[in-house]
Amino acid sequence: MSAFFEFPTENAREILPDHLEPVEVHHGTSIFAMTAFDFNESSVGEYGEVVMAVIVSPLVKPGERLPKSAMYPYLVATTTKAARDHAIERWHLPHFMEDIKLDFDRSTPNVGVARVSDMAGAPIAELKVAAHSFAPVNHLYQSFMADDSGKYLASIVMEGEQSEHEDEKGSIVLHDHAFNKALSIEDVYATPFRELWMRNGRQTFDPLKTL
Amino acid sequence: MPPETNPGSNFAEYDYSNFYYGAGDDPMNLLGPFSEWYREALPNGYYLYSEPLQGAPETRVHVRNRKTGRIHDLINLASYNYLGISYRPEVKEAAIKAVEKYGLGASGSPILSGTFDIHEEFNAELARFKGKEAVVVFPTGYSANVGFISGLMRAGDSIILDQYSHASVVDGAILAKSNTVFFRHNNPLDLERKLGKAKGKKLVVVEGVYSMDGDICTLPELLEVAKRHGARILIDEAHSTFLFGQNGRGVAEHFGLDDEVDFHLGTFSKSLGGQGGFVAGSRKLVDYINAFGRSRFFSCNLSPVLVAGLLAGLRIVQKEPELRQKLWSNVAFLRRRFAEEGVDIGKSNSQVMPVMVNNDARVFAVAEKIQDRGLFLQPVTYPAVPKHKSRLRISVSAAHTEADLETAVRVIASVLREEGVCQ
Repeated sequence: MSAFFEFPTENAREILPDHLEPVEVHHGTSIFAMTAFDFNESSVGEYGEVVMAVIVSPLVKPGERLPKSAMYPYLVATTTKAARDHAIERWHLPHFMEDIKLDFDRSTPNVGVARVSDMAGAPIAELKVAAHSFAPVNHLYQSFMADDSGKYLASIVMEGEQSEHEDEKGSIVLHDHAFNKALSIEDVYATPFRELWMRNGRQTFDPLKTL
Repeated sequence: MPPETNPGSNFAEYDYSNFYYGAGDDPMNLLGPFSEWYREALPNGYYLYSEPLQGAPETRVHVRNRKTGRIHDLINLASYNYLGISYRPEVKEAAIKAVEKYGLGASGSPILSGTFDIHEEFNAELARFKGKEAVVVFPTGYSANVGFISGLMRAGDSIILDQYSHASVVDGAILAKSNTVFFRHNNPLDLERKLGKAKGKKLVVVEGVYSMDGDICTLPELLEVAKRHGARILIDEAHSTFLFGQNGRGVAEHFGLDDEVDFHLGTFSKSLGGQGGFVAGSRKLVDYINAFGRSRFFSCNLSPVLVAGLLAGLRIVQKEPELRQKLWSNVAFLRRRFAEEGVDIGKSNSQVMPVMVNNDARVFAVAEKIQDRGLFLQPVTYPAVPKHKSRLRISVSAAHTEADLETAVRVIASVLREEGVCQ
């Protein structure tokens, strides 16, 4: 599950590498996205993952499939070392280098809560997403990465039953934690303007492209 | 028969917002992907936009369907013309006389050769109507916001906008190069939070009536916050001038806050059914904006033909307050009937009335059926409104009869039921 939050473009530009442009929801206001994954099957087994990202302009080319949106994941955290090592090596994704705890609370009907904390129990973030109506989708996303070795693009297909809405029913709590140091926390609007929730989903990556 | 749609189409997965950026360094690269998508979107509902009217925007209009080419006789629920003034005989006669006297256009900027006696007469009468010393008139409502905001605010200043501000307000703020932040719609607590961090000269911008939801601004609460922080406040009364308040001056007058609001902006394209925008205020304010409002300064002045029609319309507004009463009577009738039929009109408390469809995938099918059954109104969907908040936007007019509105209610309610939007 994922949610889009308004935050200052100034903060977005501090996070982004020079070659990427933040998408602005309003003039001066960009989009921070937090996504929590609950993978029950993968090449590195079962794990949880949290992705903190800035929504950026996609690479749109004539004759090619249109991406639903594009992002720059500036920090990824996983519940297992195997998942982290795999993502760093294969996808050049910047990681929080310790395991995290990720608990999903689905006790309230049509509401999901993802609670993230470090292994010592210090809270990092709490993301609440509400469901709308679920419909089958197959969406292409673009993920941009950059590290000392170069600039990269991964095309990701998300397939499954998805709810997507702008009812402003969700929320985020970002705690004062090293994990959140890139964000000006008080300037992230605590209510998301868009909430996404996928169930019975599958995430597949196209081969990584060097830009 | 309703128009056919392509069941295999995936055009609805995308919208204008997907085509703002393109790959490479050539601006022409933007065109191809949009064109591919638009070719598919057009026959699947986007043809409902920009359908040409064949005559005046009266309560019944002849419209050419862009998909079939056929001319349809429709009840008009889409045109602003809230008081039904643009086609009144007095207005047409004034315009005809003006074209005989002045010819077609102003043929110049208002600061050079484009100001005529009729402009001065209209400006003076408009200022009297608004109860202000003077007005400055712009060629459109869009240019009024762009020119006024960028004419007054500077880099290092702060502009705080309602999140549902019109594009012209946002573009004015961008052109001003000021720090721009948005507060949650009509939310004084969030305005307080945003103003607490604002630097430089501070301007808060609100709208009298919000054009997509038809709700009016929470002016007393927002004004109190703005004043406490030493911020000036601009109210854009595009959809409320000539309608709200005892004298029709707008929402500020409606709340008894006409003198407390610093800057009053309005348009002539809505209630007068003409074109143009204005700012009303002190002589000093108008002199300054005359000098620094570049969107006016560097545009041709409004045609004297149009101004003659606007002047006639303004006189009708002042002479016939019963037009406003008829409009509010029509609004009350429509609200009551929609409530009886279980049709959701959102938060509207004005003559702008959204019929909420709340289903982005169905809104075009709903709109096609409604037009096929005799009503002229357009769908509004993401990104103009949030996802799953798609709607059909009704503009109620004083010229509508209750029979027109009753027909509209029955058609809309029956289509919404068929489409599963309401019970």
